[in-house]
Amino acid sequence: MSRLDGLRYRIAAMLHRSRYAREREREMQLHLQLDAAQREHAARGALSPRDAWSAARRRFGNVTYLSEETRRMSALGWLDSLERDVRFAARSMRRAPGFTIVIALSLALGIGINASIYSLIDAVLARPLPVHDPERLVIVGDPSDVDSRGHGTPNGELFSYPLYVDVRDNARAFDGLAAVGDPGRVDARLVETSSDMEHPRGRLVSGNYFALLGVGAAAGRTFDASADEAGASPQATISYAYWVRRFARDPSIVGRSVLIDGVRVTITGVAAPGFTGDVVGESTDIWLPVGLGDRLHPNSPVLRDRRLMWLLLFGRAKPGLTIEQVRAQTTPVIRSAILAAATSDQLADIKDRGLTFKFAPGARGLSSLRDTFRTPLITLMLGVSLLLCIVLVNVANVLLARGLARRREISLRLAVGANHARVVRQLLTESMVLAVVSGGVAVLVAWWGSRVLLRMASEGDTVSLSVGPNLHVIAFTLAVSIVSALVFGLAPALRASRIDLASALRSTGRSVTHGARFGTWLITGQVALSLLLLVGASILTHSLKKTESLPLGFDRAHLIVADLDIATPGYASERLAAAVHTLHDRVSRIPGVAQVSYSQNGIFTGTEWHTDVRVAGQVVRSSRDTVSAADAVGAEYAHTIGAHLLAGRDLEAQDEGVAPHTAIVNASFARFYFHGASPIGQMAQFDDSSALRIVGEIADVHGQSLDTAGAPGDARRIYVPYLRTSGTTKFGQPNELRLLVRTSGDPAPLLKDVRRAITEADPAIAIDDLEPVSRLVRYSIRDERLVAQLATGLGILALMLAAIGLFGVMSYSVGRRTSEIGVRTALGARRADIARMVLRDGLRPVMAGVVLGLPLSIAAMRLLEHHLNDISSDPASVAIAVAVLLAAAAAAVLVPARRATRIDPIGALREE
Amino acid sequence: MTRDEPGGRGPLGAGTLEMLILKSLSAAPMHGYGIAQHIERLSKDVLSVEQGSLYPALERLQVKGWVTSKWGPTPTGRQARYYTITAAGRKQLGERKAEYERVALAVARVMRRA
Repeated sequence: MSRLDGLRYRIAAMLHRSRYAREREREMQLHLQLDAAQREHAARGALSPRDAWSAARRRFGNVTYLSEETRRMSALGWLDSLERDVRFAARSMRRAPGFTIVIALSLALGIGINASIYSLIDAVLARPLPVHDPERLVIVGDPSDVDSRGHGTPNGELFSYPLYVDVRDNARAFDGLAAVGDPGRVDARLVETSSDMEHPRGRLVSGNYFALLGVGAAAGRTFDASADEAGASPQATISYAYWVRRFARDPSIVGRSVLIDGVRVTITGVAAPGFTGDVVGESTDIWLPVGLGDRLHPNSPVLRDRRLMWLLLFGRAKPGLTIEQVRAQTTPVIRSAILAAATSDQLADIKDRGLTFKFAPGARGLSSLRDTFRTPLITLMLGVSLLLCIVLVNVANVLLARGLARRREISLRLAVGANHARVVRQLLTESMVLAVVSGGVAVLVAWWGSRVLLRMASEGDTVSLSVGPNLHVIAFTLAVSIVSALVFGLAPALRASRIDLASALRSTGRSVTHGARFGTWLITGQVALSLLLLVGASILTHSLKKTESLPLGFDRAHLIVADLDIATPGYASERLAAAVHTLHDRVSRIPGVAQVSYSQNGIFTGTEWHTDVRVAGQVVRSSRDTVSAADAVGAEYAHTIGAHLLAGRDLEAQDEGVAPHTAIVNASFARFYFHGASPIGQMAQFDDSSALRIVGEIADVHGQSLDTAGAPGDARRIYVPYLRTSGTTKFGQPNELRLLVRTSGDPAPLLKDVRRAITEADPAIAIDDLEPVSRLVRYSIRDERLVAQLATGLGILALMLAAIGLFGVMSYSVGRRTSEIGVRTALGARRADIARMVLRDGLRPVMAGVVLGLPLSIAAMRLLEHHLNDISSDPASVAIAVAVLLAAAAAAVLVPARRATRIDPIGALREE
Repeated sequence: MTRDEPGGRGPLGAGTLEMLILKSLSAAPMHGYGIAQHIERLSKDVLSVEQGSLYPALERLQVKGWVTSKWGPTPTGRQARYYTITAAGRKQLGERKAEYERVALAVARVMRRA
């Protein structure tokens, strides 16, 4: 009852705040009036109404304190005062916009960068698959073997289809067991009328996959276990993202029949939104039943071959089973299934190597990214956390400086009756407001930052991750912001509230202090760190530029590589030759194309062959002495790519179309095998006893990597004819065709002409890739560039933070030295002297940082020299970094220095 | 907020003040100034009610639900906030009174002996 009355009062007082405040006011006014009247009456005329009023007023006490106190007593008072605090905070922030922007920006950057790294960690390492009860999923096999295939003796890391069926039917630890595998490239003809092949990212999954994961359909239905049955009509399910991207949510997609790898397949429906498959970082576009495998790949019986291992298994563990129990129950099942079907030589093999089975938690899906990026991401997270700590200390410093400027305001508020806790809370609220505003901006920074990072990390090789602010990331950002506010706000708030009233109102402190010693050291550390980062970044960038412009031995500015699929149409021998000739002629006719050739491995495609080559009279000391890189190339290859012919001749049309009998070699090959003698006319011997006559020698071509220090044998290279009627066992029929097109001008505008010409020449040939070589070269140093860009970004950020920190510390110290500076001015110091003094004090920690940072940077440079091609220790980079640092520092000190010179000596002294 | 005033009037503790307010209101609803007057008059000006503690105390009593308030006219025709004791407030007053009498008696005993 009483509590109910009380609660009712609280709520009413809360809801009608302003009315209640007015009434309180009126009540107190009435009190004063009644008291004054009473006094006047009691004094019988000895007291004027005016005196009676002031007596009553005196008696009543401090009105501000009283209403504050009454308010505090009342009803959800804290919420009421919170709102007023927030309003007040917003007002005082508007009064100092520069200060607010600097702080909010550095906080937003600090928090935002943490949030963007966190969002990557969340996406790659932490987030579970959006499926039913993901914690019960168990992966059987090696989860990093995504997209791999093995052939030979079963090893327990990957599964063949028959083995999967055995395990599925006999394992008792699961409520269901699904298999997933990589179908290779999917050639899809999605629109009847179009001849264009598209290559959605496909995944072969067992029919029970969707039911097992508990993934429903957004349209139509997902296929079920019946899709794997032998007589089932071919079907497929597409992902929501693909439906949106490719079909613009067209509902008529359900039931549409499309051609996939030449098989007519019916699309059953669209999987639930958000489900992108079981591989993190590789969104699946289309799921095909594994039972379709044989029809999609008529040449390899994936469903019957026990030697072909290509599946990973997803099991849903029975409720209550731990992964260890699953392992204990399932291992014997797999083992006996393997042993029961093994041939005698496989048994021997298994006896030799043993069988190891891998079980992993399946909640977070499969990922090849996870292992690659775990350590870098966590290292980066630690790094940016450190950065955030620096930001916080800097902001605390700036706030301390500002607290000094607001001492009089705060003392005034204390003097008129606000209590200390109230002032601390007010200041903390200001910090909170700052942090929350910055947190909001930080979410944007994170959204943008994680995308940029992802794009940088996946240049030329799409990594599809959904990054950016989801609930996890926003919660993380908010938590970091609030903790930050407490960290950077508490010390300044406590210090401000401990102001000694009397002295603060009288003066702004008279002592000559060299306070903020910690702040000064921090600046030194920050300067050293940013110098290190800047020097590192400029060296990396410099070396990258050098690497990019290394002479590669071919004409990189005018070359296009087209990666063509000749395996799917099944081209070989004469048909291949006919197709290649048609392509060659058709592309050569494009205006602007200078010359066309082709090869197996192409240039900067990441594909490389090695082979065993000997020459007569060679003394072989180790197996490494017979290794050479190799490629199969077309007529006029050397001329087309712009390689320098040193001796003999290029491969020509006369070398093609017969059993291979000629070859050209590069200078390293000639030097290694013939020790300076001319290789022309010599025979290169292969281990299957076929031999080729060397007809030409070209200068070394760095055709696959900018890294010149490769494995032994990488530099030596032999080129054999691409088109030949019968292969040696060494060189079977080629299965890849890379068309090399040299243009007379910029290759980029010709890309679409080349694409059209290829399609017109042979519609059956799909284009896997079509890029100027210069772009491929850029892709090949993606990681190096990522590191250089990250270092530059972090260096600039660290520099900005150091400047902000310096600004805070210097403002603080100038503020504290106001009266000292006043005295100096009064004693005859000129403005220039004062400015010099402040600048000197400000730049001292910066110089210390430079002195400390230089040897560190030089050490880092030495370290980098081991990892980079050709970095000469680069004094220009260091000089530039130092100059930038000093300029930033000077800019940061300038504002406080100007303020110091404007201190009015009379005013400063009068305040004493 | 204590002051020495002629007449040797001393301040009151918060708990005592609440008890006195409740006791005053148990006679009739009163406004704030009336309560202060009532206490000072009955104590023959020995007890002084500081306004600085009176209104926060009234606020506290309302939040606890021992007192409710309503605006009404004074005899001279002004509008004032009249405070009324609730049933819970009366119960509380009984408890406080019993406790006070127990302590006062004990103190009196000690003082008489000494």
